[in-house]
Amino acid sequence: MLVPLDWLREYVRFEASPAELAERLSIATCEVKRILRRGVSDVDGNLDLYRVGRVLAAGKHPNADRLQLCKVDVGEPEPRQVVCGAWNFGAGATVAIALPGAVLPDGRRLEQAKLRGTVSDGMILSERELELGADHSGILVLQEPHAPGTPLADVLPLGEDVLEVELTGNRPDLLAIYGIAREVAALYGTELAPPPGRDPERSGDEFVNVQVEDLGGCPRYLARLFRGVRIEPSPAWLRARLLAAGMRPISNAVDVTNYVMLALGNPLHAFDYSKLAGSKIVVRRARVGEVLRTLDGEERRLDPADLVIADGERAVAIAGIMGSENSEVDEATTELLLEVANFEPVGILRSSERLPLRTEGSGRWEKGVDPYLAEQAARYASQLLVELTGARWTGDVDVQGDLPVRPVTRLRAERTEALTGLSISSTEQTRLLERLGFEANNGGVVTVPTWRARDVTREADVIEEVARIHGLDRVPFTLPVRREMFGRLKRDQRLRRLCEDVLVGAGFAEVYTPSLVRDDPDPQALRLPEPLSADHAVLRTTLLPSLLEAAQHNLDAGNEAIALFEIARVYLPGGGQLPEERYKLTGVAEGGFGRAKGIVETLYAALKAELRVERAKAMFLHPGKSAQTEAGWFGELHPGRLEGSWAAFELDLERLYAGAADVSVYREVSQYPPVRQDIAVVVEAAVPAADLFAAAREAAGEELRDIKFLSDYREPPIPEGRKSIAFRVEFQSPERTLTDEDAAGHRSRILAVLAERFSADLRG
Amino acid sequence: MDANALENDALSAIAAAADLGQLDEARVRFLGRKSDLKQALREIRDRESGMALNELRERLEGAVAARYNELTGAALEHSLREESVDVTLPGEASPRGHLHLITQIRREVEDIFLGLGYEVIDDREVETVTDNFDALNFPAWHPARSRRQSLYLTDDTLLRTETSPSQIHVMQTRKPPIYMVSIGRVYRRDAIDPTHFPVFLQFEGLAVDRGISLADLKGTLLHVMRALYGEDRAVRFRTHYFPFTEPSMEPDVSCFLCGGEGCAVCKHSGWIEMGGSGMVDPAVLEWCGIDPEEFTGFAFGCGLERSAQLRHGVPDVRLLWQNDLRLLRQF
Repeated sequence: MLVPLDWLREYVRFEASPAELAERLSIATCEVKRILRRGVSDVDGNLDLYRVGRVLAAGKHPNADRLQLCKVDVGEPEPRQVVCGAWNFGAGATVAIALPGAVLPDGRRLEQAKLRGTVSDGMILSERELELGADHSGILVLQEPHAPGTPLADVLPLGEDVLEVELTGNRPDLLAIYGIAREVAALYGTELAPPPGRDPERSGDEFVNVQVEDLGGCPRYLARLFRGVRIEPSPAWLRARLLAAGMRPISNAVDVTNYVMLALGNPLHAFDYSKLAGSKIVVRRARVGEVLRTLDGEERRLDPADLVIADGERAVAIAGIMGSENSEVDEATTELLLEVANFEPVGILRSSERLPLRTEGSGRWEKGVDPYLAEQAARYASQLLVELTGARWTGDVDVQGDLPVRPVTRLRAERTEALTGLSISSTEQTRLLERLGFEANNGGVVTVPTWRARDVTREADVIEEVARIHGLDRVPFTLPVRREMFGRLKRDQRLRRLCEDVLVGAGFAEVYTPSLVRDDPDPQALRLPEPLSADHAVLRTTLLPSLLEAAQHNLDAGNEAIALFEIARVYLPGGGQLPEERYKLTGVAEGGFGRAKGIVETLYAALKAELRVERAKAMFLHPGKSAQTEAGWFGELHPGRLEGSWAAFELDLERLYAGAADVSVYREVSQYPPVRQDIAVVVEAAVPAADLFAAAREAAGEELRDIKFLSDYREPPIPEGRKSIAFRVEFQSPERTLTDEDAAGHRSRILAVLAERFSADLRG
Repeated sequence: MDANALENDALSAIAAAADLGQLDEARVRFLGRKSDLKQALREIRDRESGMALNELRERLEGAVAARYNELTGAALEHSLREESVDVTLPGEASPRGHLHLITQIRREVEDIFLGLGYEVIDDREVETVTDNFDALNFPAWHPARSRRQSLYLTDDTLLRTETSPSQIHVMQTRKPPIYMVSIGRVYRRDAIDPTHFPVFLQFEGLAVDRGISLADLKGTLLHVMRALYGEDRAVRFRTHYFPFTEPSMEPDVSCFLCGGEGCAVCKHSGWIEMGGSGMVDPAVLEWCGIDPEEFTGFAFGCGLERSAQLRHGVPDVRLLWQNDLRLLRQF
């Protein structure tokens, strides 16, 4: 919202500079995003160069048919000669003039210039040049006969600082200049002017027919009838105010409704009374299939949940959101019905979301406008309508449902200190609250003003008011006094760090990829009904595709030694309301099956978990080079996925951690030297090496300390369909030095078992 | 056999050995199994000459050992003198990977809170509307409830919009004191730009105990911000609105780039917005079965990527999700 400071000053006096005010409001009330300057700058005496001028003589320029040559009295001993392109004025007109040296709102600096051989010693200004309006059809002729030389800033709102504030949803009362003024008055302890607007004189007592069928959706509908309205452009001050607040002036009647909304926060609407069938207003839910052409020219198909304003026959407005062309105030309007209503916020929010159509009005209603604001808004709008359109106020009605009562809550002075650490006397707390319009008595009972009734209902809410007006910067810095401590990582958190560190130590770089993906291999994967984009539509059940994408990105970028991992959740659809979320550890690296198995072995070893591997098929892997463990799968990436040989794995962290040993217990380190034997046997190619080793271990008994794989050889002279597996066995006893004879005995037992079970031949 | 002549011959041959090979030849010739000395020792029959020959053998063995040490020492000397490397050449590379910057910040945050005696909570991301909004006191009109801002799966479930539902889960299962920091992914329907991504990570501290005050929140935040951004940082609060806290405030930290003088990062204000904070709303405590008269609490939350971007000057959050090794290897 835009808050023009001159407008604000109409309701509250403050000495602070715009920057100081912005900072104070930002800390205590609402964020001020920036300070804008509208219109003529007042830097370096620029404003002094804008004056009221009286045209003494005007006639055709001697050398140009389309220019006027004028003599203008600007309050100096001699009149100035000014060349002007407009013809909507003549001698005697009171005009706005800028003298050479003046900087215009658009940044141009005005110089004394020669136009068609004639000196022009100033510039007669249009509305648009002053940013007072859009009109550039002629110069701005001032209606009042101000004395020549009068500073223009005294008679026109030439320029001002405007605060751009960002409001939070709980403070609809701040969606009004007067609401901001109330905060400023409380913060600086200065006086707040009474709210603007006094009822004009009534001239008539006509019946105004308003039927509210849905008092829940519309708890209040205040309507006033005006006759003898003259629609014309608003005066310059009003147009300037609207422009400064970011709204486009339209006509006096419409501008009044917008102006009062900006001043007080209650949106209003004006209907052309003569266009209302049956001369009546019905507030009701839309009918099935009902269609309305709103003021923006769009055909809107309405839903029975939408609240509409109707006349005797049809909808004439979507309540609180936008009026319709069928009842619009236009240049011919002479009878006007002013609507000052109150609408229930959630209904307006739903309708404006569904349509979708958001307006200045809906943005206020959806936050909850004070229903007691309507009378004052009606007063102010009536006063301005009578003043600016020459209308007569001839009738009114005020239909009300159950209006909310003002919340009453307690405030214990000591509770403020307990909750904020601020020590503020009870009297001072009362005083601070009263500045905001609260009523507080000595017994600690606080009555909330109507405009805060939604937001402040409990003691904690009142304490916030006290603290922010007193000053959040005065809250001291302390730390909680502790009776119990929780500062330790849980098992899975420690193990996660271990896994991360092991992978980093092995040369992997960690990546972060979005949990929402374009597509997932699981057709059951959860799909967002309304995704942000097609690229972020599905909750993934595996991280691998995202990692492949990251690997591809790095390949394309020409990066080398690509090895990536990620730890993140996957979302497995199940029977329940919520998916099962599981942490996966997934990696992709240049290299083949061996790299994959090597890193999986390293992880298991670091976790001190036993690794059991089986051949398995996995979706993304080379069918002959894929394996599984209890926790997941690993292997060589299917060649179709990425160029070259790649290792890939995906492990379920919970299952991986299940096998991790929490405490390693010391195993005796033998003092006696080990004896080693190398063995090579030829077996059927299909025999898994692990089976050979397991059999060897069994045959050798306790003195076998280690089996180390050496090679897998399948070239000639090894016969087709067979392979030679070479491995080193190491024997060691905790009790004595083993002899060569001991080793030879173990070796021959191993060979016997391998020969028996696997038809193994000793090689070489 | 002439013992004296043999000793002289042997000693001069040992002394003349120029390398270990010649020394070994000399040893075999004078001390080997077939040497005259060994032959004589085998044939000896009287004690006296036996002792004399044994002494001779020991003297020769001592001379061989001494010469051996001389020769090997000289060789080592020589190689130490001759061998040298260009120390400016690169070393043999060891594999070294990298934790993602977000994880580095996540760990820092975890460690800061562990040091403060908080537990670390990592909770589910798909949530019920009840735990994500209702329990957290979001009013019906709150824009976050709208499908324009949040990512719904069904009418009753959505991707959590902040880490706060995890606080509900903990408060519903445990009595205070509760001191926890929740860290994890959250989701919003934000158009992607340099500071917005629909998935981001948040950390959110929560303390619920007897006598917790806004002043404790200020002190705790000051500690956390100084730990993350430097010991000279100041913290201030601006009033704000969040459904789940009352009072609610946005904390600012004094700009760590310009020290508060004003620069592009702090938009010339000297302060950088850090997230949201406040005293846990009594309605939230009550929802979880905690008596707000007995217990009070504070909560505050910040974005991890935002911290990473600010502290490390990463201009665009998308870079953190693109995973280019040229970026990952910088941190």
